Amino acid sequence: MDELRHSPLDTEHRALGAKMTPFGGWDMPLQYPSGTIAEHEACRRDAVVFDVSHLGTVRVVDGFDRLQRALTNDLNKVAPGRAQYTHLLDPDDASVLDDIIVWWHPDGRTFDVMPNASNTARVVDAIGGDDITSTRAVLAVQGPEARARLSTVFAEAAAVKRFHVATLRWNDVECVVAGTGYTGEPGVEIAVPRDAASALWKAIVGSGVTPAGLGARDTLRLEAGLPLHGHELGAGITSLQAGLEWVVAWNKGDFRGRAALVAEKDRGVHRILRGIATDGRRPPRADCAVISNGRTVGVVTSGNFSPILGHGIALAFVEPSVAVGDPIDIDVRGSILAGRVVATPFVK
Amino acid sequence: MGVQEGLLYASDHEWVKVTGRVARIGITDFAQDALGDVVYIEAPEIDRVVVAGESFSEVESTKSVSDIYAPVAGTVVAVNDELIADPSLINSEPYGRGWICDIRMDSDDVSHLLDAAAYSQLIGG
Repeated sequence: MDELRHSPLDTEHRALGAKMTPFGGWDMPLQYPSGTIAEHEACRRDAVVFDVSHLGTVRVVDGFDRLQRALTNDLNKVAPGRAQYTHLLDPDDASVLDDIIVWWHPDGRTFDVMPNASNTARVVDAIGGDDITSTRAVLAVQGPEARARLSTVFAEAAAVKRFHVATLRWNDVECVVAGTGYTGEPGVEIAVPRDAASALWKAIVGSGVTPAGLGARDTLRLEAGLPLHGHELGAGITSLQAGLEWVVAWNKGDFRGRAALVAEKDRGVHRILRGIATDGRRPPRADCAVISNGRTVGVVTSGNFSPILGHGIALAFVEPSVAVGDPIDIDVRGSILAGRVVATPFVK
Repeated sequence: MGVQEGLLYASDHEWVKVTGRVARIGITDFAQDALGDVVYIEAPEIDRVVVAGESFSEVESTKSVSDIYAPVAGTVVAVNDELIADPSLINSEPYGRGWICDIRMDSDDVSHLLDAAAYSQLIGG
């Protein structure tokens, strides 16, 4: 195994007493001393900041046509100065190789394509461009009070609206700011040059924003019903199975994996991603069997205790006939958790 | 990492407080720190007979599940209902209100358990 990569904010995390964990080839904060649940609640109630420097940034200049051919969504649905969620498919079986946010700079020419940490290389293979991941840090400021708190530090960034993208200066360094995130809460993500990252991090934390780690990031995205590559997306899993057909622009012309995806749509998906709420506090976990009337009908891809709801929640691939409202059981290491199929997000 | 004097310890990171023939069981500060925020306790049933070293309880955090092994042989005579209702007590007060259960021991021989100094050494403190 290669040595772990370190974020430009590594020293800040250690100074705050973070517990670190390997993730996607990076050594990142799992939690700070207050713990995952306190961080989770701070994000739903107030504001938190995550270091998400482990996400890749692949910069493509004048790459509109290349991106249109490589990715499922249609950039013509948005415009310069906007962000778009999209998928990169395997050309042969339409597996989602990565789920990606594209930040389209206001200049109209520059695209910052943000893959998951471990998928950066395959995204560069597919679309070209420069991997500029190591030149910057990315800070995600999220929560109902995120913009209000950030406005005392970086007012222009706080004003960036949902799914907008802006290039802005903070203390004479150029940052790219997008109204995106992965928590289900309002907020922005700021790409800041690595040498200025610590100063911005400290200013944001100093404004009363709670640092939060990957533990809370995972419980928050799960409550928001958002997929995680390697769990709800990945080898053998298509956009259609994951319930993300809205990411697929059928009418924009050809794109990687389109033919395989059309074939799947014609024959119908053999499984679909559903949300399950379980009774009691016990967390369902990935790989637990999903059971209906004594028969296994699927498997959990992500599960945990929902701090906001106070019971277990799970995402699971199940047979397409399993519908919202159906009673369903999850087998957790031999114990049966009773639950029901629910619409996602679990927490609105 | 906190290790409390006067308690006995198992190498699987349970602590034992012996009062007569009753052993109160919990997990150590080291164990709760490694687990992270605890969200669920699968406590043993009252009257369950356990042998030393047997997995008889589970503690689940937001990130993982951990078996709890009976540090002594005997019969479960009490479980901590307050902990079942609020599993975070295991993080905040691992040696106090975060206790898991009481076992009436088959034997008063606890020589297989570690004292505080030996457990401190085990966890590198």
